[in-house]
Amino acid sequence: MDTTLSDTQRLLRESLRDYLANEVPFDRIRELEREGGADQALWEYLAGAGFLALPFAEAHGGEGGELTDTAVVLEELTRRACIIPFLETTASALAIERHGAEALAEEVVRGVISGAVTIAPALQGSTPANGASPRVESGALTGERRFVDYGADVTHHLVEATEDGEPGLYLVETTAEGVTAESLSTIARTPLAQCTYEGAPARRAGGAEALQFLRRAGRALCAVQCLGNAQQALDMTVEYVGMRVQFGRPIGSFQAVQHHCANMATQTLSARFLVYQSVWRLDQGIASDRQIAKAKALASRAGTEVTMQAHILFGGIGYTEEYDLHFFSRHGKERALAWGSAEECLRVAADTLDEVQPWQ
Amino acid sequence: MEFGWNEELEAFRDEVRAFLDEFDTPALRHELANRGEAAQLGPEQSRLRESLEERGWVRMCWPEELGGEGKSQWFQFVMTEEFAKREIPYGSGFGTMVGPAIHRFGTEAQREKYLPGIWANDITICLGYSEPNAGTDLAALETLAVKDGDDWLINGQKLWTSAADTASHVWLACRTDPDAPKHRGISTFIVPMDTPGISVRPIMTMSGGRTNEVFFEDVRVPSDALIGEVNQGWYIIANALDHERVWIGAGGGLRHIFDRLMAHIREKRPELLEDDVVRRRLVELELDLDVMEGLVLTNASIVAAGDTPTMEASMSKIWTSELRYHISNVAMDLLGHEGALTEEADGFAPLDGELERTYRASPIQRFGGGANEVQRDIIARRGLGLPR
Ligand SMILES: Cc1cc2nc3c(=O)[nH]c(=O)nc-3n(C[C@H](O)[C@H](O)[C@H](O)COP(=O)(O)OP(=O)(O)OC[C@H]3O[C@@H](n4cnc5c(N)ncnc54)[C@H](O)[C@@H]3O)c2cc1C
Repeated sequence: MDTTLSDTQRLLRESLRDYLANEVPFDRIRELEREGGADQALWEYLAGAGFLALPFAEAHGGEGGELTDTAVVLEELTRRACIIPFLETTASALAIERHGAEALAEEVVRGVISGAVTIAPALQGSTPANGASPRVESGALTGERRFVDYGADVTHHLVEATEDGEPGLYLVETTAEGVTAESLSTIARTPLAQCTYEGAPARRAGGAEALQFLRRAGRALCAVQCLGNAQQALDMTVEYVGMRVQFGRPIGSFQAVQHHCANMATQTLSARFLVYQSVWRLDQGIASDRQIAKAKALASRAGTEVTMQAHILFGGIGYTEEYDLHFFSRHGKERALAWGSAEECLRVAADTLDEVQPWQ
Repeated sequence: MEFGWNEELEAFRDEVRAFLDEFDTPALRHELANRGEAAQLGPEQSRLRESLEERGWVRMCWPEELGGEGKSQWFQFVMTEEFAKREIPYGSGFGTMVGPAIHRFGTEAQREKYLPGIWANDITICLGYSEPNAGTDLAALETLAVKDGDDWLINGQKLWTSAADTASHVWLACRTDPDAPKHRGISTFIVPMDTPGISVRPIMTMSGGRTNEVFFEDVRVPSDALIGEVNQGWYIIANALDHERVWIGAGGGLRHIFDRLMAHIREKRPELLEDDVVRRRLVELELDLDVMEGLVLTNASIVAAGDTPTMEASMSKIWTSELRYHISNVAMDLLGHEGALTEEADGFAPLDGELERTYRASPIQRFGGGANEVQRDIIARRGLGLPR
């Protein structure tokens, strides 16, 4: 048992933090928000520096690292509000590599590591399907998927679809005939798309196991994003209230302000344990839907409540577009809803209350 | 990062379990159920305690210079956890807090005089810190110790001195320099409770327990009653309080309450589980317990890595103490009027009255051991570095 960062994780975090501080100014994020799309330059850097290879098998050209290493990287990217399909691509390729079609795994993983392949999961989310659920017949995919993160910005979709009534995952090239992705605007201003497939060529990438892994990985890693947003808002707040003077003293010296900060820190650290624990368990193959749902519920709340409390302590300056705080409150809220909101996740845990075992 | 246990610790866990299987007898259970407020151990508990001492398990994680084996703190954690799961106490109350202080700050002669007795529980200790005008602001304490020849002469009053009626010694904080700034004029003493001039008056509390007022009138103690340097007391106290904080933070009992609540609902009130709102509230409690466990393990990880948790220890104290109230409150609420029944309502009370008992006893956890408001100050100032 050890909740502290390993040396590798510390190094990963420091080097990425330095790079992002120098090369990805918040005005770059503003520019991407205006123009739409993902940060291609950053993606190329991550590929070149080996960040994309971390969790994959050495046999496929990966680093064979722990999934928690990848989570540390994801948290750091979140703390800079980076707009890239890192979670989506990593979770998808891992689902194929670990539980999916062997024939596809090497090609997909090598593509991802090189930076050439990016993948967006297109799963049946919690919102009722609009239009036809995707089906596959003789290698052709037809149907619709709403809420595909980065759906218009990636090279591939990994679509949940049925073939002969059996659910599975299907890999579709987004440039192929019959694939369209229409952008949807969200509070995060990050790319989201509604996708339709009309007889698009699709390759089977995995069955029920791969699908289950992808759902779990998406939810656990999205919890990391919630956490990253909360942590960033907390750190910015602590720095700000220590400086901002009113009534002749830093507002951070008022006990009421200190207690808000103490509560924000407690909520963030509480979520941190459960979130990294679920990532670790997923990696070890001992995760449960219930445990991941609980972690995401907690992280969703932290990503919302801590970032909103930050706004109260910042006052007017934090309310402006010019200031950077809104990235984290907007992203924090959107990630709180993605891959299962706190309410949906608590429902999962409530529906499986029978699994609760006495302490022994 | 690792969220599992290595083989060595798993093996040790098995050893502790086997040990407990041997000692967890009906006789021990009977003794524990009837021990009341006594600080002394009964024969079964003493037997268990001696056997623990023989194995060297109680202090195996202490540094070698404090008489331990310097093992990873995880061994202590695993042992505490296994004892907590069975609800069998193994500590000697405040001895686990004062023992290290004597070891660290006492002379060789003092160590020899007190430590074996403390470990064997022949010396039992009550804490003489709080006074009528010194609660959260402990450094305001006024009980005066004046040098008189080779002796010290002590006069004053302590308040809330739990176990003063049963303990053999009091670990006493006194003012030894009234003119110095308040944190720099305090010293710590260890004083036998049967010293002439000490009188104890009971105070009954709403938890049903007893605490005391203790009066000191010209209490004469020899110079070796002083532990550490004169006026070094605040430092020694702060050190010992750190131990107390982690100790209070270990809220294993709350897991048992949740388990018993679930068992009660499953057996006696299954209709509640048909209600989605009830299920949701139960999940929220479970999540609160998960957070508690996470904070405890986070603290333990920091200690095991050789660092000292500051804000993490305070977070754990706040969370656990507030959860003690919250879990009993919500559980009583879910059960409705039967939640109010006490253990005296023979056979009717859910969880044998544990819920209402926990509810009544919950305030002390929040204002005692450093009020939660002060814990939040610590998180903000020591942890996050906010200005005073
Ligand atoms: C049953 C029982 C057993 C006890 N056992 C012992 C014992 O064995 N030995 C011993 O020495 N003591 C013991 N105590 C004393 C205990 O530690 C004190 O009660 C505690 O320190 C609080 O002090 P107080 O009661 O004087 O409350 P006060 O100091 O008056 O505080 C009351 C409240 O004021 C608020 N407050 C105080 N300071 C601040 C601040 N700086 N910022 C914001 N809010 C603040 C908090 O809400 C606090 O809870 C015991 C108490 C009880 C009730």
